[in-house]
Amino acid sequence: MPEIRLLDDRLVSKIAAGEVVERPASVVKELVENSLDAGAGDVRVELAAGGKRRIFVRDDGKGMGADDALLAFDRHATSKIADFDDLERVATLGFRGEALASIASVSRVELRTARDAGDGNLVRIEGGHVRKAEPISHPRGTSIEIGSLFFNVPARRKFLKQPATELRRCVEVMQGYALAHPGTRFSLMHEDRTLLETVPSASGDQDLEGPDIPGLKERITQVFGRELATKLHEIPTDFVGDEEAISGFVGDASTTRGRRLFLYVNRRLVRDRMLLARFYRSVRDVWRSEDFPALFLFLEVLPERVDVNVHPQKAEVRFRDLRFVDRVEEALRATLDLARAEGEAPLGTPRSLPDLPAAWEGLGGRQRVDGNVHHESDEVASTGREYDTNWRPGSPEAYAPPDRGAEVGPPLPAGSTIGSIARPTFEPIRRGDSPLAGRGKRLTPFRIVGQYKGSLILLEGHDGLYLVDQHAAHERLLYEQLRRGMAAQASASQRLLEPVLLELAPAEALRLQQLTPSLEHSGFEVRSMSGTTVALTSVPEGLSADRAERILHNLATAEDLGGSESAGDGDESGETTDDRSDETSAAVRWVRRRLLEEIAADMSCKAAIKIHRPLAQEEMETLISDLFACSQPYACPHGRPTVLHMSDTEMERRFGRRG
Amino acid sequence: MEIRLNRSELVAELVPMQGIVERRTTIPVLSHLLLRAEDDQLKIAATDLEVSLTSSCGGEVKEDGAIAIQAKKLLEIMRAGAGEDVTLRIDQEGMLTILVGQSHFKIRGLPAEDFPSLPAIDAEQATTIPFPTFRGMVGKVAFAISSEESRFQLSGALMKMGEDQLTLVATDGHRLALVDSEIQGLEDSEGVLVPRKALHELQRFDGDDLEFRKGEHHLSFSVGRRQLICRILEGTFPDYERVIAKDNDKTAQCSKAELSGVVQRVSLLTGDRARAVKVALAEEGLEFSATNPDLGEAREELACEASGGTLAIGLNPDYMQQWLSAVETDQVQLQFKDENSQCVAYPVDGDDQRYVCVIMPIRL
Repeated sequence: MPEIRLLDDRLVSKIAAGEVVERPASVVKELVENSLDAGAGDVRVELAAGGKRRIFVRDDGKGMGADDALLAFDRHATSKIADFDDLERVATLGFRGEALASIASVSRVELRTARDAGDGNLVRIEGGHVRKAEPISHPRGTSIEIGSLFFNVPARRKFLKQPATELRRCVEVMQGYALAHPGTRFSLMHEDRTLLETVPSASGDQDLEGPDIPGLKERITQVFGRELATKLHEIPTDFVGDEEAISGFVGDASTTRGRRLFLYVNRRLVRDRMLLARFYRSVRDVWRSEDFPALFLFLEVLPERVDVNVHPQKAEVRFRDLRFVDRVEEALRATLDLARAEGEAPLGTPRSLPDLPAAWEGLGGRQRVDGNVHHESDEVASTGREYDTNWRPGSPEAYAPPDRGAEVGPPLPAGSTIGSIARPTFEPIRRGDSPLAGRGKRLTPFRIVGQYKGSLILLEGHDGLYLVDQHAAHERLLYEQLRRGMAAQASASQRLLEPVLLELAPAEALRLQQLTPSLEHSGFEVRSMSGTTVALTSVPEGLSADRAERILHNLATAEDLGGSESAGDGDESGETTDDRSDETSAAVRWVRRRLLEEIAADMSCKAAIKIHRPLAQEEMETLISDLFACSQPYACPHGRPTVLHMSDTEMERRFGRRG
Repeated sequence: MEIRLNRSELVAELVPMQGIVERRTTIPVLSHLLLRAEDDQLKIAATDLEVSLTSSCGGEVKEDGAIAIQAKKLLEIMRAGAGEDVTLRIDQEGMLTILVGQSHFKIRGLPAEDFPSLPAIDAEQATTIPFPTFRGMVGKVAFAISSEESRFQLSGALMKMGEDQLTLVATDGHRLALVDSEIQGLEDSEGVLVPRKALHELQRFDGDDLEFRKGEHHLSFSVGRRQLICRILEGTFPDYERVIAKDNDKTAQCSKAELSGVVQRVSLLTGDRARAVKVALAEEGLEFSATNPDLGEAREELACEASGGTLAIGLNPDYMQQWLSAVETDQVQLQFKDENSQCVAYPVDGDDQRYVCVIMPIRL
């Protein structure tokens, strides 16, 4: 008997379903796409138990006749393309004819559809088998109800998360489509609660006549609130042509806190890595920032010039014209420039400082470009600034001295050596061997060679020379100590005079509600207000409201809390307690970690020993062995390196001893 | 341009300019002062685009002209100059010649046209306010202005005129300070938000009268020859009257100096991160305590007139101290409701119509 055999159809369907249908959100996505492709002006979605128990989508699209209603569930049955040429220029969201068949094979489906009001059909399918097909009365359009998703695929069901998480993903999908289709009414209900409701924009849906900018903006306002909408900068209209259009909005510097990146290609929401990479690169170049603002990018190209058939969930696209992406980048850069120029610093205060590690800045007696000859005093100024961690990108405050005296003090006399690294330490260096503990308590023989200009500790290791920045090293050390101390105690909480109101998208508000207990444990107090507004009434002591707000926004939009992918028990109605507690404790840890990072990084920098400070041998030994006992000895809390290594090989090469 | 003037008089006008100019700026001209010789005086202007200051210094003008000169260097030269007689002259395009005593300086400047044009205030009438009163009021609220740039509506103080009354309010979201003073002749008008930097610089002025003008986007404060112009901060200021709780029924009245001493001593042992002092109100008085998990704890009692019941509340000692150092009276009164509600503090028998500080509690 041959070992290789053909799989039966139902098994094939189930395997294929895994490609398209991963979780309730992917079902919602496929069904909403169908509704939009059917020309619906009104799409209503109802969910129960985060979509695990029930997904119901109803539209007022063109509907299907009796034969089509049945055929729709066959694999590769579609009305959207007919031949290969059509595939080359797909204008609809779906086209493979896989979605309904896949969904039907793993759930209980009831489809009601009618081309004309009254003259409708009902089809009921369970696990891929047609159970019922009969004429019914139904208004024009289609309603489809998906029950018991994955009832016959327990393995898949186990990977579903708790309803709140699945629900959030569904809401995100709906938000995505709502943003791109301002002419369509969308509503999303979850167990009798309205989570999303958008009204069609007055300017109407102009499908092919270029983007409806006011409509899109209005839709963004409906989904994300007015505050965000006022901070958006429109991509200049120069990028809208006959055959392609690049339009949309880029937020200003204050929108970086929520990761709101929405890319659309012909109204299809994508997460194309190439486009995102171009955006990130543009922000880095134009803003000199690692904080990325909100992006709503709508690309329209002729259907035959873009290949959407490269990814099972159509998350990635390929453009026939490679230079199109360059034009997108050009548009983004132009808009980023606008978004920056009209921001808080009207005349272009630099957004970030040059990437010079603190310790190195003074080492060579670097002169500033403005030609000031007192470079000793310059060093004091520049190192002083380096330790000012209150500095934030884009903050004009950074450039104002904290407290100016009424009078400007006299200049430092020439030859003054206050703080100058050029001062040599002439004391003879005592050389002793001291085995130091490395990471993981492994003893690595290091020998302290000495201190270089009161700033760097030189270590001789078995494989070369190590340079340790004493400030960064001490900073790391204090940071880990603080973090341990803070993790042990509950946070004190400062009440605010007036609550800070956060305007969130529905999915973000849900996420915060889920996290409320862990937030309280960390000293935040939040209260849900009407709609999706959340009021922040207390913040952890020592954290500015501004930073608290930033942390909350990040938390609300974080894609993953870093918790383990835990499995539910697959029961429709509930979760195992493990699932819930796992995700919650992951959240608690996440919130605390973010807080600790923010606060501890700040405090440890202020308390750490500075450069230009001679250390005794014992001090160096303690510092080095403590440093290497840290969980991350190689970077300071701000991410700068603490240790540089020059290997013996490298030195030999440079001395010409080896080729 | 050529002008002769007195060195000390010039230095006196250059000093307040230093607070306005940007020291670290990407726009070089903002670290400069605009000097313009005309009408028997040297007109001086400084700006950081948000706050501008103009002033003048009498002199003997031989030739009109203008140039922008680096603010810091000009002051240094004038400070160091020997002799009182100064001549400023442009002999060569873009260079200012300074003759002071026996010294001869030639300083590179920037064209006067590059200097930003200062906002004009097209306000009809000036309101006159006694300047010493105003300066005192600023000192009583300035500490509560937020230093968080992003909450820009709080990075200034609200200035509101009422019938024969002037009110200043400042808050950073954690505490709020408000002072009302009686000033005859004022009329009711809408409040404006004055940026912190403007208030800070105004505190260094001297004079008898302040002429205040309000334009569409800018405010002007004139004291003597000096005129400070700043942009009005946009934004909604919190509803401050609502924040000043009227139903705080537990009170403690004590000596300001004693209270300040106790708070200072106990706060020595607050945590590095959580700056909170626990304040317990009992019948015999207040007990202050602080705990630092790494160091230990501190406790001190302060006898005072207490009424209304007992409670324990967490307060930031810095907020208390900053207010106490602005208070001029010997006695102060603290009012509480419960541990989640704000503490409202008043000086007892002060000269102001009302001076109040609201401090939000810390949950310990």
